[in-house]
Amino acid sequence: MAAPEVHHLFHNPIADHSFSADRKTLAIARDTTVELYSKVGSAFKLKDELKGHDKTVTSVDIAPNSGRIVSCSQGKSTPVARNRHGVVLDRNALVWEPSPQGYKPTLVLLRINRAATFVRWSPSETKFAVGSGDRLIAVCYFEEENDWWVSKHLKKPIRSTVTTVAWHPNSVLLAAGSTDAHARVFSSFVKGVDSRPEPGVWGERLPFNTVCGEYLNNSAGWVHAVAFSPSGDALAFAAHDSSITVVYPSGPDQPPKAVISINTQLLPFMSLIWNGEAEIVAAGYDCEAFRFKGGLNGWVLSGTLESKGRPGLGEGREESALNMFRQMDLKGKVKDDTQLKTVHQNTITTLRPYETSGGSVRKFTSSGVDGRIVIWHT
Amino acid sequence: MSIIQQHTQATLSDAWRTINIDALQEDSSVNFDTSTLHPALPETSEAEVRQLTNQVRQLLRGGDAEGALRGCLESPVYRGRDEAKEAHLQTVIEVLQSIKASDMTPMLQRIYASPGGTECLDVLMKYLYKGMAVTSGGAGKSNPQTPTRMTPQQTGFSQMSGRPGGSSESTGGAMSVLLSWHEKVVDVAGLGCIGRCMTDWRKV
Repeated sequence: MAAPEVHHLFHNPIADHSFSADRKTLAIARDTTVELYSKVGSAFKLKDELKGHDKTVTSVDIAPNSGRIVSCSQGKSTPVARNRHGVVLDRNALVWEPSPQGYKPTLVLLRINRAATFVRWSPSETKFAVGSGDRLIAVCYFEEENDWWVSKHLKKPIRSTVTTVAWHPNSVLLAAGSTDAHARVFSSFVKGVDSRPEPGVWGERLPFNTVCGEYLNNSAGWVHAVAFSPSGDALAFAAHDSSITVVYPSGPDQPPKAVISINTQLLPFMSLIWNGEAEIVAAGYDCEAFRFKGGLNGWVLSGTLESKGRPGLGEGREESALNMFRQMDLKGKVKDDTQLKTVHQNTITTLRPYETSGGSVRKFTSSGVDGRIVIWHT
Repeated sequence: MSIIQQHTQATLSDAWRTINIDALQEDSSVNFDTSTLHPALPETSEAEVRQLTNQVRQLLRGGDAEGALRGCLESPVYRGRDEAKEAHLQTVIEVLQSIKASDMTPMLQRIYASPGGTECLDVLMKYLYKGMAVTSGGAGKSNPQTPTRMTPQQTGFSQMSGRPGGSSESTGGAMSVLLSWHEKVVDVAGLGCIGRCMTDWRKV
């Protein structure tokens, strides 16, 4: 397994990151700005800063084909802008259109009065979903005649903050995780924007806000991450009870074929991605990524992706007697144990596929509270 | 009339200050139905707990400590009267106290590796924390006579403060047993086990 490629960008937490389709541009949610980095040689250099949010940016996503960037932030509706119809818009979410003069923000009518927590483009790129502390998900689509992004709300039966969302490959079904410990699958079908989806395991007729599934772990932790398998026929979610759960639905209005929960000995996972139908990579508070393997008949934790005994970290210092006594004098101990043995030195916040071939992920990226972006080989 | 007097009069008549406005708001967190956060739980009666205690004691007498431990961990009292919950806790502590320190880790590893083992150790962890709460701070609560036995010292420092009543010897002993089990459980089931005790709404 090749060594991971580590980019230490700064000493601030990275809430979320996203690469452009050509992998040359990297968008980072840092504090109240979205920073754009471009690859120069083997390093990432700051190229542009998108300033439009006045509160902490919580999530950012680049649409692969159109290059549009959507970002969302905390801070409830601050009426700071009016569009040409005089309607007051808030700046919880912004869509940044690429243009020769740089990125120009388009406003989004979210109609929420709590923080926006998470945003993702649908695979079709005609919609995006924003999770919020207002106990709803805003499904946004562009309205040509008014020149703004409007939203429809998925409200029922969410009872607490939505922490994460994930799209089904058909761009209609949407999975969401919430602090009420439930992972849910909704239909976000918008007439005139979506084409009618093929009937599948999640349901046949799918009008807006159809609840196609609602799942709860026995030990009921906040849900931190959700993801559909590449086929879209299975759903995985990670919760604050240090577990991941995989759901295999059997059809509309029927109990699922299997709901498999793996309670781990580790700290909770913050993010997870599928690698094919039989592997999941998850990472979080343990600062390293772990691999799960399995299928309909069960899942197991198969190990870490960290290569143990990697040279470098913490071993560069010479072990002279002088150094030993200096350490004892300065710190009262011989060994410098302030560094973790993992590549990330703090919680991993987001995992994203980086290079895929034929349904399986060959490389993926992780971003962490330590300000690092790491490109891993699976 | 001085400002201070005005202020006092105003405050005295301010009965509205005690109204719990959160309760009046439908969206408020105090009106959140937490029973939606766990699967439906069967109710356990005191008679059932007593029956289980007898079975467990029989296993203990027969030398099958592991079976006894499994027995109480597989049927935790999640829903039932406080007396039933309390009785089951006592059974668990009894079993824990009867197991030798050298047997703890191998036994926990065997339970963890068996099907349903993670769940068992999560339940054990819940009972350990409950046991600690009862034997330390909750001693006065579970045993209402205790404070009267103490010399009332309303001011100043009491040397007895941490160890109320004459039962301090036994509670101290129970606590050290619970602490050594806690250490062993964390070794086997990891930190995830502690996290699950916190998130889980099925309380013992």
